[in-house]
Amino acid sequence: MISIRGVSLVYPNGVRALDNVSLEIGKGEFIFLVGHSGTGKSSLLRLLYREMAPSIGHITVDGIRVDRLARGRIPALRRRLGVVFQDYKLLSDKTVWENVAFALQVTGAHTRDVQRQVPRALDLVGLAHKSRMYPNELSGGEQQRTAIARALVNNPKLLLCDEPSGNLDPANTTEIMELLRRINLKGTTVVVATHNQAVVDRMRRRVVRLDNGRVITDEERGYYFLGLGQDQILSG
Amino acid sequence: MDWGRIRFFLGEVQRNFTRNAGMQITAIGTVAVTIVMLGIFLYARSALIHAESGVFSQIEISVYADPAATAAQETVIRTALAQDPRILSVSFIPKREGLAQMRRLMKGQIDTSLLTENPLPDKFRIRVREAQEVPAVARSIARLPHVQNVEYGREVVQRLLQLAAVMRPVGIAVIVLFLLVAGIIISNTIRLTVFARRREISIMQLVGATNMYIRMPFICEGLLAGIAGTAIAVGTLALARASLVPKIASALPWLPMNTVAVDLSTLVLELFAVGAAVGALASWIAVGRYLRT
Repeated sequence: MISIRGVSLVYPNGVRALDNVSLEIGKGEFIFLVGHSGTGKSSLLRLLYREMAPSIGHITVDGIRVDRLARGRIPALRRRLGVVFQDYKLLSDKTVWENVAFALQVTGAHTRDVQRQVPRALDLVGLAHKSRMYPNELSGGEQQRTAIARALVNNPKLLLCDEPSGNLDPANTTEIMELLRRINLKGTTVVVATHNQAVVDRMRRRVVRLDNGRVITDEERGYYFLGLGQDQILSG
Repeated sequence: MDWGRIRFFLGEVQRNFTRNAGMQITAIGTVAVTIVMLGIFLYARSALIHAESGVFSQIEISVYADPAATAAQETVIRTALAQDPRILSVSFIPKREGLAQMRRLMKGQIDTSLLTENPLPDKFRIRVREAQEVPAVARSIARLPHVQNVEYGREVVQRLLQLAAVMRPVGIAVIVLFLLVAGIIISNTIRLTVFARRREISIMQLVGATNMYIRMPFICEGLLAGIAGTAIAVGTLALARASLVPKIASALPWLPMNTVAVDLSTLVLELFAVGAAVGALASWIAVGRYLRT
């Protein structure tokens, strides 16, 4: 699904955000990108949905050469993946239903597709009964579920999440992670950048650890801290 | 036809348009002022082009033969005039007729019965095809034998020719300047709308809307501002025409304005085309700048 080879990213101010990163992510995988803030997790995600282009290196997402994608082809890439952020990025003057429908409407979808897809996405995240409410009438977890519904409404094969639980309490975090797990079970590849230790340790999924823009470990069923489970840290 | 899609799009345009109404009114006002100027200019121009050609077509050259010239010598002059391709028409006024004309013109002012003999020379009255050629034609006639004097409204003709040569570029420059100002103000208005909607735009880009799609509501907004401004301007111009033109005509009767000659429907169409084009172009540029960065 995703192939990253020898990718480096240097910002115009000279900061090296990523340093020779290589990573293969298969179809249907669930993968955590972990590391302290500023270690390049978000930068790596931004390269995948082509918010930025790498300074050097090759990136392929779902068969598309993202690193040398022409400006005019970016919308086509974005329609094949969903992105979720810490701050939800919802429109406050639109209802839940309208926020989710927005993603389809602005890409020129037919009304009958909007009417079929939006309820399905809202059902998936369990918000069908709140579709007429506005974001500020919802809890943080519900707002994030709305954002996830928007990311999934056009059935992407890949879901990118940048600190999805960053603003949420533990109960809501659990809820969101459970939702992401279900989405993954339906066949969607899920990439989650997080520094939430509890989440990573509970899920026991593939963990790619970044430090200073480099991949330092890549474990099949990892913990947040290298080689240690939560209980081991607590007891040690 | 997918009405849901059209309704969504129109909703977006309407939200844009109402969001910063104050700035929108400024933009519409500027377009209105500009279009009023343009309208007056175009109207006056087509009214005056007619007047201009009227004035120019009335320019005459009077050629006075030497009083001592014989009939045969005058025939030489006449032949020379007839052969000049720049000359439209020649009429011969013998001195007898010239005196009769003068009597009619000067009736009651001069007692022409006191004249013992006719002091007037024979005269040719000449019309030239192109007003610009009047001075040259006059000079070449003056060189003919047995011509005593050649007269035309030298001062008036040269002034008119200069005026015609200057009017056009100055008018066009003023209009272009105004259009530029209107364009910049519309462009700034759209930039404010774009700024107010930057969050929506970033989400649109995130979910894969094309730049063209993101642009469309803003282009429509500029188009609407241009059309609304033009509508106000055309209304103002129509009122002004109805109330002012008769007053001008009676106050300045010497100003030969032919208002019938102005093709109003074409003029209105032209104004709307210019207004809409300025609006659309300005917003295209404004959004384009935002989308590139």
